[in-house]
Amino acid sequence: MTLLRVRDLGVSFDTADGRVHAVNGVDLAVDAGRSLAVVGESGSGKSQIMLAVMGLLAPNATATGSVEFEGTELVGLGEAEFNRMRASRIAMVFQDPMTALNPYMRISDQMTEVLTLHRGMNRREALAESVRLLDAMEVPEARRRIGMYPHEFSGGMRQRVLIAMALLCRPRLLIADEPTTALDVTVQSRILRLLAEVRAELDTAVILVTHDAGVVAGSCDEMVVLYGGRIMESGPVDRVFAAPRHPYTQGLLDAVPRLDRDDDSLSAIPGDPLSMNRLPAGCPFAPRCPRVHERCRRDRPPLEVHAPRHRAACHDPLDDAP
Amino acid sequence: MSAPLLSVRDLSVTFSVRPEGIRPWARGRPLRAVRDVCFDLASGETLGIVGESGSGKSTLARTLVGTLRASGGRVLWRGEDLLSMAPRDRHRRRRDIQMVFQDPLAALDPRMTAGEIVAEPLVTHEPRLARDRVKARVAAMMERVGLLPEQLNRYPHEFSGGQCQRIGIARALIVEPRLVICDEPVSALDVSVQAQIINLLRELKRDLDLALIFIAHDLSVVKHVSDRIMVFYLGRVMESAAARDLVRSPRHPYTRALISAAPIPDPEVERRRQAIELKGDLPSPLAPPSGCVFRTRCPVARPSCANERPAMREFGNGHLAACPFGEHSP
Repeated sequence: MTLLRVRDLGVSFDTADGRVHAVNGVDLAVDAGRSLAVVGESGSGKSQIMLAVMGLLAPNATATGSVEFEGTELVGLGEAEFNRMRASRIAMVFQDPMTALNPYMRISDQMTEVLTLHRGMNRREALAESVRLLDAMEVPEARRRIGMYPHEFSGGMRQRVLIAMALLCRPRLLIADEPTTALDVTVQSRILRLLAEVRAELDTAVILVTHDAGVVAGSCDEMVVLYGGRIMESGPVDRVFAAPRHPYTQGLLDAVPRLDRDDDSLSAIPGDPLSMNRLPAGCPFAPRCPRVHERCRRDRPPLEVHAPRHRAACHDPLDDAP
Repeated sequence: MSAPLLSVRDLSVTFSVRPEGIRPWARGRPLRAVRDVCFDLASGETLGIVGESGSGKSTLARTLVGTLRASGGRVLWRGEDLLSMAPRDRHRRRRDIQMVFQDPLAALDPRMTAGEIVAEPLVTHEPRLARDRVKARVAAMMERVGLLPEQLNRYPHEFSGGQCQRIGIARALIVEPRLVICDEPVSALDVSVQAQIINLLRELKRDLDLALIFIAHDLSVVKHVSDRIMVFYLGRVMESAAARDLVRSPRHPYTRALISAAPIPDPEVERRRQAIELKGDLPSPLAPPSGCVFRTRCPVARPSCANERPAMREFGNGHLAACPFGEHSP
């Protein structure tokens, strides 16, 4: 069952230099209990898509198109309805857990507030449920630690607290925006394992926003590759990694150093990621593409189906691997 | 093999940390950020230093370039001890050791043009150099790191992150150092740009016969640039070996955990991968565990690990690990 369906989503900002289009014509869908990776570099628009879904865009931003969640249209939804939706149906985990937590409030107050507000629990029930979730997220001595303030936790533990908090109302969709980027690798694998367990046990769908292809390979079913605010390629993770059709996807995979290979050569993508206020007319990747044609600079390639559920936006896609 | 360019012996760096609270007369407690570090670096060699946050790798870098004071040990530069050298001599030596920083934009003065930034160390170290010579050398260096001559008069904010890092590299190389210490030089960059900078550093190292110390938290990145790798944990070296040996046959349980946790961009490999999860959290560096500092999180720790700090064991080909149970897999 499709839980979230985004159609032709656009996000633009009114700035002193005129209107800037950060996201253009993005389509994506997530089924209940599945995981979708949204991959992109800085300026790809990946975080703005998620903020649009959450109704948390900056005041000078406008969202167009459609975001349908459990049959409800979220674009243009009022603040009060969004508040009900957030936390109870959709929750989000951010990159920096310290800024996402209130430094002046004990963890217990931050957690129970959600439960008394959204699930009508009394304080005692709410506290017991909060401790249960911290336990599930492997926060040691949860009963004692819940009385502490955010700065008393390590980075990895803070992120686990944040995930526990996001799960308080058993959301149907959990959006994790670079949840492990600020953490050490040995801590990262634990967070990713916990997210996988949440998905399996609560049937919660997970959208993982990341720049790390390694993380995608290990934790997601489907993926969407963004560049310059547009989808370059999308499809099942296994397929896209085995046979990427878009030169950008290929370039991104080739640029990642791999520990399991002896070959020390790395192929970089020349040039720099796009700046939003200088989007080219044709394909956004054309200025850096090794296979660029005259046509690519002129006409933007549409997202075309190459195999079941595997789509790429390229005039000269790579061959299907043997 | 030639005599080492840099020999570090029993280097320790200790900070004094005031306990929390309001008593201003309270005595500081020692925080031992780096302890008893030993290594040699040959000319043209790249030493990778990998460790997670709080491992002391940046403190080591800053001590080697002289911005932090060591509390013990020796740093021999071509046989001369940098730590006991007179300030004037040290200034001259400092030219030989340059540094590249993590945040490329923050490391550049926003009020100076790219050309001025790259010229500054040259003017400092060769005050009598004629202006047109400075100009020519700056222009040549900019080109060497992949920047265009017309970008000389631009300010840092007009550059992308990758370009800023190229300026930082040009600034380090303009005085023709023998050793460049790179502290997380690519971790703030996008993946596609990260590979450009890694390739540039490898190229420069080869062409200029530079020695590099490459510090990063990402073992995959470190492995790609290094001849040898040292693994740090809580201020101490856990393991040190040729890059390939370290990744293929790690001897220390911490190195094994690091390798097993590094994600591989291949779904099939990932499905088979079994990450070794470390117990608990990093202990406070103010109160490191007795004996082996890693024992509180070690999957193969034994009671005896608490008694004595394990000595470095040699496993052949310069492969060292500070674990008496190095041959046992977890």
